[in-house]
Amino acid sequence: MSNPPRFGLFRLITANLTNRPHRNIATILAFAIIAATLFSAQYLMSGAQQSLNTGMTRMGADILVVPAEYNAKAETVILMGEPSTFFFNDSGFEKISKITGVVKASPQIFVATLFGQACCSAAVQIIAMDPSNDFTVSPWLKENPGVTMGKDDIIVGSKITGDIGSDLLFYGHTFHIVGRLAQTGMGVDMAVFTRTEDAYVMADESGVKAVRKLTIPRGVVSAVLVKLEPGTSQTTVASEIRAKIPETRTITPNGLLSAVTSQLGAVTRLLYGSTLAVTLVSIPLLGFISAMVAHERRREVAIMRALGATKAYVVRLMLAESFSISIVGGLIGIVTAAVILVLFQDFIAFSLKIPFIIPSPMAIMYAGGTALLLSAGIGGISSLYPAILINSSEPYETIRKGES
Amino acid sequence: MIEVTAVTKAFSTNTAEVRAVDEVNLEVNPGEFVLILGRSGSGKSTLLAMLAGLICPTSGTVKLRGRDIGNLPEDEIAGLRAKEIGFVFQFSGLIPTITALENVMLPTLFCPDGPGSRSRAIELLRKVGMSHREDAYPRTLSSGEMKRVAIARALINEPSILIADEPTGDLDSVTEIEIMELFKELNFDGTTIVMVTHNPDLVPYGTKTYGMNHGKLVEVFSPPCVNSAQQSSSYSSRKDAT
Repeated sequence: MSNPPRFGLFRLITANLTNRPHRNIATILAFAIIAATLFSAQYLMSGAQQSLNTGMTRMGADILVVPAEYNAKAETVILMGEPSTFFFNDSGFEKISKITGVVKASPQIFVATLFGQACCSAAVQIIAMDPSNDFTVSPWLKENPGVTMGKDDIIVGSKITGDIGSDLLFYGHTFHIVGRLAQTGMGVDMAVFTRTEDAYVMADESGVKAVRKLTIPRGVVSAVLVKLEPGTSQTTVASEIRAKIPETRTITPNGLLSAVTSQLGAVTRLLYGSTLAVTLVSIPLLGFISAMVAHERRREVAIMRALGATKAYVVRLMLAESFSISIVGGLIGIVTAAVILVLFQDFIAFSLKIPFIIPSPMAIMYAGGTALLLSAGIGGISSLYPAILINSSEPYETIRKGES
Repeated sequence: MIEVTAVTKAFSTNTAEVRAVDEVNLEVNPGEFVLILGRSGSGKSTLLAMLAGLICPTSGTVKLRGRDIGNLPEDEIAGLRAKEIGFVFQFSGLIPTITALENVMLPTLFCPDGPGSRSRAIELLRKVGMSHREDAYPRTLSSGEMKRVAIARALINEPSILIADEPTGDLDSVTEIEIMELFKELNFDGTTIVMVTHNPDLVPYGTKTYGMNHGKLVEVFSPPCVNSAQQSSSYSSRKDAT
């Protein structure tokens, strides 16, 4: 035999809430929108920041030196993985290595493969590096001792199609996938890492094997990744690099972060602005709805008070009802926003031109918690006035009026 | 049990002060069934509300078990209403969103340490002849059924006194007698009852009857010897006649 539901405050709340479905659905929807907008803003910001951190850690560089004229292009390659080919003379490479505070400098060559051509499996960014001084892929190779990077071997980013052990064709040259890097949300995910010498061979053969010849002049690089001694100022070294090699520009993680922040700024401002606007509109609106409910229920409350309910009990009941609605609405908003953000994360990141990775569970919990707290806070505030109002009426008067 | 001394309740209108209850004295002893008769607007419901601590008198005192309820803080009065007083309204006053059984249990939420419980609520519903409708919602109940549930609700915390404001006002004569029989049975079991009505036909049910007119209270009928058995036969004959 099943036990009947326990009768208490919770049952009283659920009975009241389920009895007015249409109005409560409208209220829940308002809370859902508030929570969804705030959650989305925090989720995107946190995902972008985490992606940047993961990506920069993967690259391992404190400073990135790129040709001055390709500064914006370089950032797009790093952040979004948009394939691009550009070079500058590597005569400065030696100078960078000698600057005080620089531990290591690793030159890389960026080559964009061809899109929609038989000679190329996909349009990706090839990053050619010298394993002897590289610190982007080398740490990964150390973590994966079974993997070695020999002739025509490539290590691919997380979003490159192709299984480990399979081949990819670029400029008519066949490469062999030996490893796959973890997702970063940045350009690295769309990149293919190869050895510089293999990239030269690919370029040399391209005149015969590819539909368009690729030229990689000897003695050029696309970027130099610089690793500093711990405690060394990035700004000081970056200034020194720019002074010594005037045709270059430097990119630091902080610089990238500000670029992303400004990129994301308009969206987050819009989302935070929407949250604020929805909140400001919702408080009086929800207050009005609560007041209507309170007005309808004034007789019910008067009966409860005549039966012995204290004013505090009535306030508690109304607050609990409001909190319940706001939390249900908040949860619906958060879950809906999370599902949409996860399903369309690539599209969102691409549209906003930001690096993006699903934030850590802690960051998601923080974003969800904040959104839920805001919903509950608004729920509480909007129900406080009606609760006080309904309590201030004389139960006897209300009951008598109801009889007539 | 209840001692009302020189109680006045005055309301101010635009033109004058109206005394709904005027210098009323009343004493209700344990086990009594006090009826207050009067026409609409005579002040009987206002007097009842003061007995229940729902409104404060303008002057005079209302004492329940020796405590002046006019001087108690609001929370204590609420506690008193939950523990000591069972209230039956003219209309049923059931909460529409919960079942009959839950309505009976409602006052237990305001008196968590009281004797009210689920099993007692079921027992009370059985006593008022409503055990078969415990899961029914108020909208599906007839007026008489709702009134029975309301009476069960008033008794859930074992109050020392049951206050009823025109409990049969909107009922047909058959249901009215059924409800009055129920009140009598409760009184027979020891519940003290104070009830107001405008129906003089109900006078035989009371052990003491007062009349109220223009806020003044006068005792109009008090049987010299109250015998429950005699009264019961009187009610039964009335019921048979109906």
